[in-house]
Amino acid sequence: MRTGRLVLAAFASLRRFKLRSAAMVVGSFVGVAALTLVVSVGGGVERKVLSTVRQIFGERSVLVVAGGSNLLTGPRAGAARLTLEDLEAVAREVPQVEAWDAQQILPAAPIRRAGPSTTGEGGPSATARVVGQTERSPRVWSRTASGGAFFDAAAVSSSARVVVIGETVARELFGSEDPVDSEILVGPVSFRVVGVLERFGTDVHGMDRDDEVVVPLTTAMRRLLNVDTIAGAKLLVRSSARTEAVGREVARVLRERHGLPPGRPDDFMLITDVQVRKMVGNVQRVLFLFLPLAAGVSLLAGGAISAALMLSSVSARVSEIGIRRAVGARPEDIRLQFLLESASAALTGAVAGVAVGAALAELAARRMQLGSVLSVRAVLLGLLASLAVGLAAGVLPARRAAALPPAEALAARG
Amino acid sequence: MIELRDLRKTYTPKGSATVRALDGVSLRIERGELLAIVGASGSGKSTLLNVLGLLDLPTSGGVLYDGRDVTGLSPREQARLRNEKIGFVFQAFHLLPRSTARENVELPLLYSERRSIDSLAERALEIVGLADRAGHRPSELSGGQQQRVAIARALVNEPDLVLADEPTGNLDSRTAGEILELFAKLNAAGRTIVVVTHDAGVAKACGRTVRIEDGRIASDGRA
Repeated sequence: MRTGRLVLAAFASLRRFKLRSAAMVVGSFVGVAALTLVVSVGGGVERKVLSTVRQIFGERSVLVVAGGSNLLTGPRAGAARLTLEDLEAVAREVPQVEAWDAQQILPAAPIRRAGPSTTGEGGPSATARVVGQTERSPRVWSRTASGGAFFDAAAVSSSARVVVIGETVARELFGSEDPVDSEILVGPVSFRVVGVLERFGTDVHGMDRDDEVVVPLTTAMRRLLNVDTIAGAKLLVRSSARTEAVGREVARVLRERHGLPPGRPDDFMLITDVQVRKMVGNVQRVLFLFLPLAAGVSLLAGGAISAALMLSSVSARVSEIGIRRAVGARPEDIRLQFLLESASAALTGAVAGVAVGAALAELAARRMQLGSVLSVRAVLLGLLASLAVGLAAGVLPARRAAALPPAEALAARG
Repeated sequence: MIELRDLRKTYTPKGSATVRALDGVSLRIERGELLAIVGASGSGKSTLLNVLGLLDLPTSGGVLYDGRDVTGLSPREQARLRNEKIGFVFQAFHLLPRSTARENVELPLLYSERRSIDSLAERALEIVGLADRAGHRPSELSGGQQQRVAIARALVNEPDLVLADEPTGNLDSRTAGEILELFAKLNAAGRTIVVVTHDAGVAKACGRTVRIEDGRIASDGRA
């Protein structure tokens, strides 16, 4: 009964001091909105990064990338080039490599649907990434054809002009028609569509991975790019082996083939799951430490404002405290009142902050194509954090108020 | 009902000499009395009232309610005693400016152990003749009306004892007369009332007058 009345009285106090209460509510609102936004979006980004990393990298693989690891200056002139033969040698000499696929990439190429005329003029066109891969790509990259079929080993060895196209390309060129067995032009070269790639979506960089076409590696090298090198490769490692150790073996084979004396840096780059995990860890640190920390700081700033306002409120309400003590308020009743005022102002702001933060997070997520990101964790975190800050902000003022001797408080002006 | 035994209270304000506000006061107050405590300002009469109402503690001596010394009670128990046994009326009214008359009168009920507080405030406002002003804020009431709200607040929890510190000090003489009549009526109904005043007219209206000088009782007489 009594406690219920005291709680109601605290709310009544908040209503009576509207301006002060509003400032406290806003302080909490801003902090909680920021926290909810950051934690929700962070969670969405993390899921996206992890799923993309899993899609591209998988659990047990080593990526080989042509060129040294000196990203600032790019590949050095005269550096030995990464070739298909290098990878064949690696597969031969490192028995822990279970399967591998090499890649060559043309970042953007004009693609047209071959029209009814023999010249192909007039068909719908698009621009897409062209990737050359081997027939082992579906296994190694875990991405096969969902319609039609992926090309086979014969297509690779004969540099056949066949292509598997991504969904975006298929939609742009063929609309709702089935593209399989149609002809398309990649640059000036005509290809027969044999399949449609499984849907991938956007990757970590926001790149639409359905806006690409895959041709046999040898076709890409000879007919499209006119090179005898590859851009990189992905090695699947046997489950019994450690990827780091395999990575060292691969490096040894490649250095030997490239004739690198000890002391010279690698002219290729190896990425193992250890490095990927480190990279993901860095991303997670940003998402779950630094960003929430920044949001937390704004919540704390709101709390500090609340504490200052509550303290000045106690000074301004000394006489009220004296009256309450005179009519029978116990010191702990006074303490409770000020704690409740501070905490309920914080919570009110927090509820609004969670709502607005969540709405902003959904909006941001839609723009970043993260799907729905609203998390119960973010909501609970926001509410609990603001409650804690609100209580903390009220502790000192409440204590000060409760410690006032009644006769002295009554004698005060105001 | 109440007995004060050799009360002493000394203050030492910062940087000045010790002040003896109460210097050995002993006094018995019987149930149903209407008692005036008079004296010049600084004589210690307000300190006496504060100690009597447990708003302040004596440096030494005892305050006995129904034979029990209450100076040693915890702040919690003292608060409960104030809430249930004592009603206060102050010179400056001491109403909460942003609350209505009803909310002000309800204030002691907030801290009481009562289960239901329905209509008690209205009844107290009726006793002081302000039932129709329940929804008004202090700023919308005259000085006399504000003091009557304060008296309703002092009465709402039906205390045995009402302590009034210069209750008419901020009022004109006609309004002061009304307040004194109200006190007389409450006293006639059996309530013990102690009024601190420096107004001889107020003292005359009381059945007993205790004069304080320099922290001691100078005289104690019945009319």
